Amino acid sequence: MSSTATAVSDPSRRKKSRPRRRELREVTLLVAIFAVVLGVGVLRPSFMSFSNIEFMVLSSVVLGLVGISQTFVIITRGIDLSVSAVLGLSAMVFGLLSTTSSMPLWQALPLCLAMGAVLGCFNGFLVAWLKIPPIIATLGTYSLYGGLTFIYSNGLQVDQVSPNFAAFGNDNLIPGLPVPTPVLALAAVAAAAWFVLNHMKFGRNILAIGNNAAAAYNAGISVRRTLLAVYTISGALAAFAGLVFVAYTGSATATTGTGDHVELQSIAIALIGGTAIAGGRGNLAGTVIGSVFLSVVITALVFLQVPAIWYSAGEGLMILAAVTLGARRSVNP
Amino acid sequence: MSRTPGLLAATGIDKRFGANSVLRNVSLALAPGEVHTLMGENGAGKSTLFRILAGIHQPDAGQINLDGATLDLRNPSAAYGHGIYLVPQEPALLKELSVAENMFLGMLPTRGRFPSRIDWKTIRGQAQDSLSALGLDVDVRDDAKHLSIAQQQLVECAKALLRGCRIILFDEPTSPLTGREVGILFSIMRRLRGQGCTLGFISHRMDEVSEISDRVSVLRDGAVTDEVGRDGFDRARLVRAMVGREVIFDRRRVRREAEGEPVLSVRGLAHAPVFSGVDFDVRPGEILGFSGLIGSGRTEIAEAVCGLRAKSAGSVTLAGQDISASSIGDIIEAGLVYVPEDRARHGVILPMSIRDNATAGQIGRLQRKGGILNRGREVAIATDTMRRYQVRARGIDQPVGQLSGGNQQKVVFGKWMSTNPKVAILDEPTRGVDVGAKDEIYRLIEELSAQGMAIVVISSELEELIVLCDRVIAIYGGKIAAELKGADVTAARVGAAFLGVEAH
Repeated sequence: MSSTATAVSDPSRRKKSRPRRRELREVTLLVAIFAVVLGVGVLRPSFMSFSNIEFMVLSSVVLGLVGISQTFVIITRGIDLSVSAVLGLSAMVFGLLSTTSSMPLWQALPLCLAMGAVLGCFNGFLVAWLKIPPIIATLGTYSLYGGLTFIYSNGLQVDQVSPNFAAFGNDNLIPGLPVPTPVLALAAVAAAAWFVLNHMKFGRNILAIGNNAAAAYNAGISVRRTLLAVYTISGALAAFAGLVFVAYTGSATATTGTGDHVELQSIAIALIGGTAIAGGRGNLAGTVIGSVFLSVVITALVFLQVPAIWYSAGEGLMILAAVTLGARRSVNP
Repeated sequence: MSRTPGLLAATGIDKRFGANSVLRNVSLALAPGEVHTLMGENGAGKSTLFRILAGIHQPDAGQINLDGATLDLRNPSAAYGHGIYLVPQEPALLKELSVAENMFLGMLPTRGRFPSRIDWKTIRGQAQDSLSALGLDVDVRDDAKHLSIAQQQLVECAKALLRGCRIILFDEPTSPLTGREVGILFSIMRRLRGQGCTLGFISHRMDEVSEISDRVSVLRDGAVTDEVGRDGFDRARLVRAMVGREVIFDRRRVRREAEGEPVLSVRGLAHAPVFSGVDFDVRPGEILGFSGLIGSGRTEIAEAVCGLRAKSAGSVTLAGQDISASSIGDIIEAGLVYVPEDRARHGVILPMSIRDNATAGQIGRLQRKGGILNRGREVAIATDTMRRYQVRARGIDQPVGQLSGGNQQKVVFGKWMSTNPKVAILDEPTRGVDVGAKDEIYRLIEELSAQGMAIVVISSELEELIVLCDRVIAIYGGKIAAELKGADVTAARVGAAFLGVEAH
């Protein structure tokens, strides 16, 4: 038997280490983040102040939540352009409800998740049952959900939220631990997402579908139900991100989310983090670190007093740089 | 698990895809513990029949019985449930997932209550054990994308066994394999048969079929034309059943010593560590064989010669002109073309029509002033390609993806030959092509060489090299290991050379 064994295993294509490459990505991103923080910190010392670092981490939470949901969708070879619209609608609906109807947070939270789930479920229905390509389906619902925000707000905007919303968005959940509640929420969501992706059947089915949906179907995996669930979760997480956003900033307009192109930012951070746009491979830690990276870059542009008209272009260049460096490494592992 | 499966019988199977009738009243019985081979030209319906038995397609009429009980094979999982597993032509392993996970796809064991975790330890252990049992030494934690096709096929076998499947169907497994890998696959197939498994097998290669089969069924145009047991095995009879006419199999070409100045000269071509020190010449009207195992560097050398791949040293001269540093477009223009091995990936654009494909190699020459394409010329070239290369299709606007493998290859040929090259390098020109079409392709190659074209045929099929070539160069480990010409071009010498046994 030994002759068979040696004959079939070609030593030249032996064991390329997958884990090492992934860690490298995360390390590279962390180094980039520290480099930006130190570099800008030298020029503008207040950039390295505790309050600014807290601000940057906090503002990466919204991106991180949407980025995680986008990562799941991209793993299935899909894309969800409607996340920013769902985020905006949720921010508007619950921002207004918190003041006009004095809705308490404990009511708003499940309602928000349910609303996002319904919107996401509709995306999943379009993709998995009607077989509409995800980019087209969610481009449609992007406009649809974005339009609902205008209809619902009817010219109003959120200028302030109720104190318990504001507390949720800014205060520390655990007294003495200087970590704002949203950061803990992101950590919990990221940990849960990691567990699902690596240790639950549902997560492995997502990866299998992204690698080869036909093979996954042939192996007895329910492709349609899995896709429906992925888009549903994406909607729920986007709505949750909207709630976090409005609680933290105390403001929302009819173009919250869509105006900043959060859908594109979420795709960018997933790709920066090492998720493959062709599907089948995802890196949740990379996504979370990528969201911090993007938040740091955006804040750095402000601190460097770059004129506001340059923000979008500067952000784009940084994204391209990060994705290009990553892409070159994965071509030549 | 070790129980021998019962008789698997398909009766009166009809299958249509749209207007295309693929199987007509086909009956096939796989007896317990036999290796039952399906032969037939491409498009005869062999794969479709296996796919029906494996639950991937559902028949329009007919029924499938196992030990007398009628089966409802609505999807592949249902087929696994009855112990039937298909190892597909291109193994469909999920590239980014580990080998172990691939083996347990769709049946990942979990432990604990909600949230129940996947039991990776059990998965890895069982996966490693079942691969070791097949003699495959790979780390099951490695990504499936790092496996060779031969290794992937063995992983598919292990998947079948893990699912308790005892009827394993192999859809043309050997066409991407080297001779040595085929030997390994066969030893495993024999072992499975020894353990009581029933095996289905599809192959175009007569030697393989006679080596492994207990029974052979021949399909032609969607119907069974012959069925013979091991005793009644006769090549001529099988070929006749397959193609419906006589094919001259043992044709031996007169091996000519080509004269005149070389039209293509390669000197000192190197790109460490893939290949080095490659010198060879081809003369007009000569057919030069390039033999070697997959991975020997033969394809890489050809690609480097044609400018498709980097080289670190060496010169390539085409008809007196140095093309070592020319662009791909200039090389084609100068008269050197490379017809790649993997048609679907590099050779043709499957969704596009015969017309678009046939003219793709010379689209630049079909422009009128202002860059508008000359449609009349396009139609003329495509029609001429279909006629000259005997492409069987509805018309020049039929998408190439709808044609059989042999006809696709003829379109690829036509595409390149319509540029009137001086030298053509053909990489595995008959891979996945049936006997009838193979013969036609050989005739085409000989015809082109008779017209003065120099042709390099890269092949891992001994028979092909011997039937076709004037001279054979054996590549081993990225170097030219031997050069054989005239009476030396025999199966024994060519075979020994490309296994690295015979040194120059």
